[in-house]
Amino acid sequence: MRNVNWLGLAFLSPALVMVTLFFLLPVVLTGFFAFTNMSTATGVTGGEYLLNSASLRRLQNEGLPQEVLAKLEAGGYRVDAAGLAALAEATTPATAQELEQLHGAAEFSDRRDMERALKDLLDNRIRRTRDRKEAAELFKRSILNERFATEAAFRAALSETGTRTAYAEQITTAAYTGWVWTTKNVELLFALPSTLRYAANTTLYVTLTLAFNVGFGLFLAITTFYLPKGQGAAFRAIWFLPRILPPVLYVLMWRWFTWDTGFLATVTGYFGISPKNWMLDTSYHAWTVVVLINGFVGASMGMIIFSSAIRAIPTSMLHASEVDGASRWQQVRWIILPQLAWPILFITCYQTLSLLTSFEYILLATDGGPGRATEVWSLAAYHTALNNYGGNLEYGLGAAFALVLVVIGIAASLIYFRLFNFKRLITKPLIEG
Amino acid sequence: MSNLRAVFATTALVACGTAALAEDITINVWAGGSNDADSYRWEAIELAADLLEREYAILGEELNITVEAKRDFGGWDEFKQAVTLAAEAGTAPAIVVTSHLDIAPWSQAGYIVPVEDYLDLDAWPLNDIYPNLLEIASYDGIQWGLPQDAESRPFFFWKDAMKGIGYSDADIDALPAKVAAGEYTLQDVLADAQKAVDMGLVEEGYGFYPRVSNGPDYAQFYQSFGGQLQDPETGKLVLDKAAMEEMYQFFVDAVEAGVTRKNHIGTDWSQWYSEVANGKAALWHGGTWHYARYTGKEGNDDFFGTIQFSLIPAGNDKGRANTITQPLVYLLTDQQDDMVEDVAAQLVKIASEPRLNSLHAIKSAHLGISRQQSNVELYSGDRWADEATERLLGTANAQPNHLQYGVFAETMWKGLEAAWTGVQTPAEAVAAVEAELTAKLGDELIVR
Repeated sequence: MRNVNWLGLAFLSPALVMVTLFFLLPVVLTGFFAFTNMSTATGVTGGEYLLNSASLRRLQNEGLPQEVLAKLEAGGYRVDAAGLAALAEATTPATAQELEQLHGAAEFSDRRDMERALKDLLDNRIRRTRDRKEAAELFKRSILNERFATEAAFRAALSETGTRTAYAEQITTAAYTGWVWTTKNVELLFALPSTLRYAANTTLYVTLTLAFNVGFGLFLAITTFYLPKGQGAAFRAIWFLPRILPPVLYVLMWRWFTWDTGFLATVTGYFGISPKNWMLDTSYHAWTVVVLINGFVGASMGMIIFSSAIRAIPTSMLHASEVDGASRWQQVRWIILPQLAWPILFITCYQTLSLLTSFEYILLATDGGPGRATEVWSLAAYHTALNNYGGNLEYGLGAAFALVLVVIGIAASLIYFRLFNFKRLITKPLIEG
Repeated sequence: MSNLRAVFATTALVACGTAALAEDITINVWAGGSNDADSYRWEAIELAADLLEREYAILGEELNITVEAKRDFGGWDEFKQAVTLAAEAGTAPAIVVTSHLDIAPWSQAGYIVPVEDYLDLDAWPLNDIYPNLLEIASYDGIQWGLPQDAESRPFFFWKDAMKGIGYSDADIDALPAKVAAGEYTLQDVLADAQKAVDMGLVEEGYGFYPRVSNGPDYAQFYQSFGGQLQDPETGKLVLDKAAMEEMYQFFVDAVEAGVTRKNHIGTDWSQWYSEVANGKAALWHGGTWHYARYTGKEGNDDFFGTIQFSLIPAGNDKGRANTITQPLVYLLTDQQDDMVEDVAAQLVKIASEPRLNSLHAIKSAHLGISRQQSNVELYSGDRWADEATERLLGTANAQPNHLQYGVFAETMWKGLEAAWTGVQTPAEAVAAVEAELTAKLGDELIVR
């Protein structure tokens, strides 16, 4: 027995690896990113320690005393004994001597002035730009705008500026450039007025599209079932096109269809209706188009599943009902539909979850417009995490958006299982038992 | 055996020796948002590499630089993702040509290194670059990059349409000065656009034909109504509610008057270019680089005879006529090998020399970056470069290099979109923008 189990596991292992890599890991990572302030500016792999005007501003907002701030800002470049000694070692003692004569004890607020001072050297000229820059660094006495790879190095440099240790912790925290753990993303989700709107949009989108998917899929499956075999197959093939077309092409055709110079506008133009964009004119137009675009794709899938399920119904039952004088509608209502419960459950579960997270057709069609009217939750997650005009992508906040979907997805699955009495559906058939 | 060992040792020694003499360096250049006309963004680096190799050769060092350029990215988003992911993986291209807005986040993340670590800013050609452009390529007092080109975003008038509504040639010639003086405002834009539509000179929705997607252009209209993007004192971003609302209102008015299409946002760029270049729109706004597109691909052979250009007009008394320049910049990324950073820095310096930069400026209809370019005949002989530099570049300002500016710009745009398409009123949209920005930016935002 044991051997068989191992064998089974061995056969499963490729699938397990895939599931872990492509399903489990992204979920875990989403949960992990959602509680960080990760963005382009913090990077993904970790940070360094850097005091610049942005971090000083943050410290000021946090109430760091003015004199401490002043001390951090001060410093700049100073031609002092330590610097001169270092210069003597790096170049020649004569160079250091000449600089001391020219600019001994001088202070410069920025690097360019220090470099200019080094250019004043005549007898011991430092000719190469790189060498001059390295020499200038020897006189740097401020920790502003300098990156420290480790916390220890930063703290050491900080104590050299004479900053009281009481503030060291706060300053070090503000200077860290990498990401940190935070619950701010989740708080933001509750605080932002826009999230409520995205949630409402998503509910509307999923409900309408799902109803369309299942309803239209059923309609197609049943109607094509009653057609002669060849015709039914042809119809099904046609209705399957939206699914096999590349999304970009499929949506492009919708755009040609609805654009103000497109098919619909041209045809309605013959009836005296002034041309308008049937996709983006109002939010009602946008919603109709979004539901139809997604609906046709989803319906084709439902159609295939339902069709094959209908075919699995023993034809003898249908023949018998005809002998009893049942109409087509009675056949559908009392024979076909009851036997489709399981496929309907499957399609409903599957489509809810996939609709919750699918946004590619909306992105291509309306991009959430007009004015965020069709911006659904997953699209907002995408826009936040991967689309930013100024280049600072908010991975953390985007992941928090996505995490909500994960939670809702799991909860919805559980509810569906309960609703359709999943347990009963997967019990062993009594006849074979 | 010992002989063999000797042979090995000699070979190894020779190999080391050659390696020390001849240095092979590959410099990757990635250019975002570039099309065929922008080829000198990387070709200038190739030319610079040739010059630098020769300089090294004269000094007796053999340096072989291979420049590998990449320009085909899906769009700005894909380009920025590609760069940041490569930087995280430690395989970032040595030179990146990108928007100056990337400097703030990328420097904070440690992806880029300052050019001032390698280059003497007091030496030619860098000391000849316009100071306001250099300033735009710096952040926090550090020179992170060098401006690669300059541009500006003018307001355009189709001359035939203007004549059709009663402007004389002299009136049209005087327009740029009137705009600059604040005598011709955005209210006049609406009035003229309305006339053009009413008189049937252009179709409905084509009186005023703005940009079709988010961009710095819309910050210009915010400035037209007195809005300020960044507080110069504190460096914080500023939301001027009154200015924002008036700016939104302007676009709403344009839609209600029928001079701008309600669903204009998202119009296909190719369609847009072809329409404005050939007189389908009466008034519109764009960029200096549009000159190349209008006169090239779109086939407008008489640009100056058909189109007038000016600053973006003021919106009210508080605002001013303005234009935003958004130069692309050369940035150096953090590399394992310091030598690569050094060579890359030398290359962008050489590529910034007036003659090399003029190749790009004229081919792509951008503006020059340095004063000496007016002594390069190719540049000074070009009417567009000459007039646009004089009329626009002097008053141009840029969007702030600030970590959170992206959030600000996105939110401002979303608000405008909501008001424009009638989903919210301007006041509601501004309230939503305020709530969103206050929550996201916190102390980094000043609300007025």
